[in-house]
Amino acid sequence: MKTIKKLLLPSVITSLASLLLPINAPAADNKIHHLYEENCASCHGSDLGGFIAPGLNADTLKGRSTTSLRTLIMAGSFDTLMPPFYGRLADDDIRGLISYLKATPKQPNPTWTIDDIKASVKVYVKDESTLPSKPIYQLDDINNIIGVAARGKYGRGEGSKAVFINSVTHKIIGEIPTGTAAHIIDYDPANPRWAYVKNDTAEIFKIDLYSMQIVRSVKTGFNGPGLGVSRDGKYIMAGSYVPHNAVILDANTLEPLKTFELEGIDPDGKQVSSDSGMIIGTPFADIFAIALENAGQVWVVDLKEGFPVTRIENVGRHLHDAFLSHGGSKLMVASYEDSIVTAIDLKERKIIKKLEAGCVPHVGGGSVVEVDGRTLGFGTNFGDCDKMVVSVWDLDKMEVVKQVPVSGGTESPAAHANAPYVAVDIISKDRRARTVQLIDKKSLDVVKTLDVGGHAYFPEYSADGKFLYISAGYNGDEVVVYDSNSLEKVASIAMESPAGIFSHGRVRYMTRGLSPDELAKRDGDKGAK
Amino acid sequence: MNRSVLLCALTLGLMSVNPVNAAVIFAGKEKAMAVCSHCHGIVTPSADAPFPSLAGRDFNYLKSALAQYRDKTRKSDLMNAIAGSLTDNDISNIAAYYAGLKTK
Repeated sequence: MKTIKKLLLPSVITSLASLLLPINAPAADNKIHHLYEENCASCHGSDLGGFIAPGLNADTLKGRSTTSLRTLIMAGSFDTLMPPFYGRLADDDIRGLISYLKATPKQPNPTWTIDDIKASVKVYVKDESTLPSKPIYQLDDINNIIGVAARGKYGRGEGSKAVFINSVTHKIIGEIPTGTAAHIIDYDPANPRWAYVKNDTAEIFKIDLYSMQIVRSVKTGFNGPGLGVSRDGKYIMAGSYVPHNAVILDANTLEPLKTFELEGIDPDGKQVSSDSGMIIGTPFADIFAIALENAGQVWVVDLKEGFPVTRIENVGRHLHDAFLSHGGSKLMVASYEDSIVTAIDLKERKIIKKLEAGCVPHVGGGSVVEVDGRTLGFGTNFGDCDKMVVSVWDLDKMEVVKQVPVSGGTESPAAHANAPYVAVDIISKDRRARTVQLIDKKSLDVVKTLDVGGHAYFPEYSADGKFLYISAGYNGDEVVVYDSNSLEKVASIAMESPAGIFSHGRVRYMTRGLSPDELAKRDGDKGAK
Repeated sequence: MNRSVLLCALTLGLMSVNPVNAAVIFAGKEKAMAVCSHCHGIVTPSADAPFPSLAGRDFNYLKSALAQYRDKTRKSDLMNAIAGSLTDNDISNIAAYYAGLKTK
């Protein structure tokens, strides 16, 4: 049975891919390009230009030997997500792929229009009134749900899913298959039952958490992680690397409402077309903020008639991710190339200040903690360089407090109002990748290193702050749970190549580390919802 | 000879003939993570992978198979290359680690 499935599937997918194929490749290369789409594109990019993995084209592969590339494809690469394709791809196909990629330039940005998006909407549950009115499983508080983006070994297939866990019992309560690797999980801040999962081929799934099933899905592009939900839960905004656009969707139906071509003048004065970086909804106002990676701009989109855009230029070179502070009125945006984090006032819609970070700041959702009357922001930096630090800023005064030395590059900080440590994942590609370091909130020093195993990353606290969840990543194949205070290991949850972890509690504290009461109080002060 | 001494001697005797105890499971896990897990998983291989599961397999079988792959008496492009650098100790340790895993 399994053999039949394996034989049938590629031919079906091939015919589907030929309909979707954005590129006018010569006929002889079509078969090989389909193989590329089906095995490589979700990480290396449909345009051969790279996404979470390097671009594979005539330019990037110049001078690489066919023998070493063949070995790499067969055996995979231990230090990365690259899996072994031995036994999945025939040797002739591997050789064919290599010669095709070595001869083919990066492809032009394919189109994926609002009509394509509209046509891609799938309805799994027609009548949402038939859904249960409360969770069909035992759960005391919806915020105790933790979602894990499981990539699956091959970035697609049976192992690729969003896994939802009860963070009190540490047991799995639901699994949603996502086809290709799940990447981002966002929750509706207004209605606790909805979650939105985006995968590495830019499909968004609307999930009913009460019955743990997909209600609708839509394909917003070819790849790109950008996803945000508005504070009232009415809109979703998604952005792509391929093509260079973003779209606002009706969160209820997933129907597209407006698309945005991402282009603008970069900090060096050049007009460029741009990948979409982070997209964020804020409890502060009915807006989305979106970072244009290559254009170095942040756009603020008002959620009203026509969705008008305010462009904030010159934010920094190669923007990526960001986090909110001060009731959601301040946005901290990371710039890879300038090694800064730029503070933006979302009320005035202008830059407050550019703050020094470490090398290649990747704030990964960031953390904000209130300590001794100060509001401290924590930013990770994933570059491997001499200055390996986690940056700490005073977000009231907007100044650097400390660059905390850590043992390697870092990708994502986790904090909780009730937990004593800020956890950061060390991602340097050697034994250090197994570890997570803990920074004491008060002393701002590393006080402990956890040996999690695998490639440990994306720490996240449970909504009550009692437990620290960490993905053991590729080769770890488990999520490990620690007691937040004693740091004893309390549970392990098996899954294939777990990556990002997203607590439902995030909708209550906005940015990890803040107290829900603090957000409520600031909301009151500012008269926001 | 009293009972406890006898028991002690028996236990020691048992331990010395039990091959798994000669191997170090923790060292085996380290090595498995670095060498084997990319294909075979640290517990089980990917649901989508063509690679066999090693968890709970017979210790002696795993050991002899690995040694054959290393010595190229059993042919496999991939396994001959992967196992080529393993020492006898590595092989015992890896075999002990996977053999000791419980299968669901």
